[in-house]
Amino acid sequence: MHGLQTVRRVVPAFCVALLVAACNRGADSSTKPTVALVVKTLNNQFFIDMEAGAKAAADSLGIELVVQAPEREIDVERQMQIVENLIQRRVKVLLLVPNGSKEIVPAVMKANAAKIPVVAVDTRIDAATLAASGATVASFIGSDNEDGGRMAGAFLVEKLGGSALVAVLEGVPGHETADARLRGFRTALAGAAGMKIVASQPANMERDQAFTVTQNILQSNPGITALFACNDVMALGAVEAIAAAKRTGSITVVGFDAQDDARKAIAEQRMGATVAQNPREMGRMAVITASRLIRGERVPAEQPVAISLVK
Amino acid sequence: MISGRTMRRIIAGREAGTVLGLLVLCVALWIATPYFATAANLSNVAEQSAIVGVIAIGMTFVILTGGIDLSVGSLVALTGVVIGGALQRGWPVAGAVGAGLMAGIGAGAVNGLMITRGGLPPFIATLGMMSVARGGALLLSDGRPISGFPDPLRVIATGNLLGVPAPVVLMLVLYFVAYLVLTRTVVGRYMYAIGGNEEATVLAGVDVRFHKTVVYAVSGLSAAVCAVLLVARLDSAQPIAGIGYELDAIAAVVIGGTSLLGGSGSVIGTLIGALIMSVLRNGLNLLGVSSYLQQVAIGTVIIVAVLIDMALRRRIQRSTR
Repeated sequence: MHGLQTVRRVVPAFCVALLVAACNRGADSSTKPTVALVVKTLNNQFFIDMEAGAKAAADSLGIELVVQAPEREIDVERQMQIVENLIQRRVKVLLLVPNGSKEIVPAVMKANAAKIPVVAVDTRIDAATLAASGATVASFIGSDNEDGGRMAGAFLVEKLGGSALVAVLEGVPGHETADARLRGFRTALAGAAGMKIVASQPANMERDQAFTVTQNILQSNPGITALFACNDVMALGAVEAIAAAKRTGSITVVGFDAQDDARKAIAEQRMGATVAQNPREMGRMAVITASRLIRGERVPAEQPVAISLVK
Repeated sequence: MISGRTMRRIIAGREAGTVLGLLVLCVALWIATPYFATAANLSNVAEQSAIVGVIAIGMTFVILTGGIDLSVGSLVALTGVVIGGALQRGWPVAGAVGAGLMAGIGAGAVNGLMITRGGLPPFIATLGMMSVARGGALLLSDGRPISGFPDPLRVIATGNLLGVPAPVVLMLVLYFVAYLVLTRTVVGRYMYAIGGNEEATVLAGVDVRFHKTVVYAVSGLSAAVCAVLLVARLDSAQPIAGIGYELDAIAAVVIGGTSLLGGSGSVIGTLIGALIMSVLRNGLNLLGVSSYLQQVAIGTVIIVAVLIDMALRRRIQRSTR
């Protein structure tokens, strides 16, 4: 029974620490309504900006905001767990940037059953899957990603005089946001016969994968002069791979999201352009929508957020 | 399911630290948030633990024999895609699930053969399989998730038996079977013997190579069962599913008190280990703790659990010396 004594000492010490941390938060004792914002990951500046916009709005509206995310952008199941747990916490509104447009639908159904309104932010939840499951979303707040992809494509066509070998870094296969950007980009390029996509590979929205994939593309297609990445995180990975190959300046890289690092790279002429969404505005609008839902007001089904090209 | 005598043995024995850890964690959360100790939330936690809980069964067998299986996360994706692809081609649910389970057993057996016949260290053989299976899943599915499955499959995730969610029922049944195999059968004794002293077990006339191959096949099978649960839960088979699950499963086994050196441990400990991880994640979500801090907390629990286990082990060794 000596062993148990050790356990008696160590385990409570650890748990008391957890308990103190837990009690200090005091979230549950506050009378403010709680709204949850679940994003794809917090390893991406885009979602950190969205969180900042949402927090500012929540503070001014007297809303308790809980922000959670899985560790990895591709972890659909973990995001579903987070949503389930927040439903148990009885948040008033769920603001959700789904990791999987179809895969999150079972979680949306659970929220519906608990009478918690769901607002999709940035990434749409698949309409056909929603309809098939009888699930509903109160509103969608986000940019038209396809339009942004077209802008990126049009920029490259104009910049390179309508003739270039093009490489593309795709996002997570089958995920709506990146797919829409890609669709728009391909539409823009289809109009220019001289623009040929010679390589199109997924780099899963991650910087290190984009670096490796770009290195490989440069080996197999040294003649490329343009590269489109479905987000800035990948674009910046590509910029580094291009620099490592001493090709900076000869390949025009276009990203998406207009993160600070990307804006800096454009100013330093290491990158050609990026499509600016406004994640801060998305976060702000999402929380305002939540507060209107809490008050029982009607909200528009679609709330577009403006998009622009930074070059 | 577990008799009073067994219950007493667990409390007084090896799993004491783990059980106590789980209890203290639950009490702490019960005090800290009114949302934790509700029937709906506890059922929710149990359901969430099923995913990693099921793979951790196979991982317990592997680790008991002194091995490791890094391929299970990728096998979840591969077998999931096999199931999804078969359903998409119009196979009946039973046939598709059967194909997925066979694929899991097959890939696991290949791991086992590489280790026992090829002489590869388990770390290397399963590391290779991790990549092969991931690539295979991406190739089979063309990199895209396969979605929208018939109701009989969805029931595995959405159904319940007397109010207990179906995934939990499945997990508990599998743990019970594994518990019986390890404690009441000769094969179970062999697992401990192989992990304790492989050479002595060979000299005792046990076909160690065969039994070790079976262990990896069982691990592949648990990954496939996990894939069934995951596909049913998300209504989607994803080639990028299961990344990092091998580490979650290893963590559950280790928190449950099974030695990474092999030869000692139990599946009951693993079940409690898996529950601790789910309860912790659930609690941190309920408390609204930041995602960054959550990772720190989970890592800390793994380290503390192993520290306690090592302290216990030293005491036991000293008292038996």
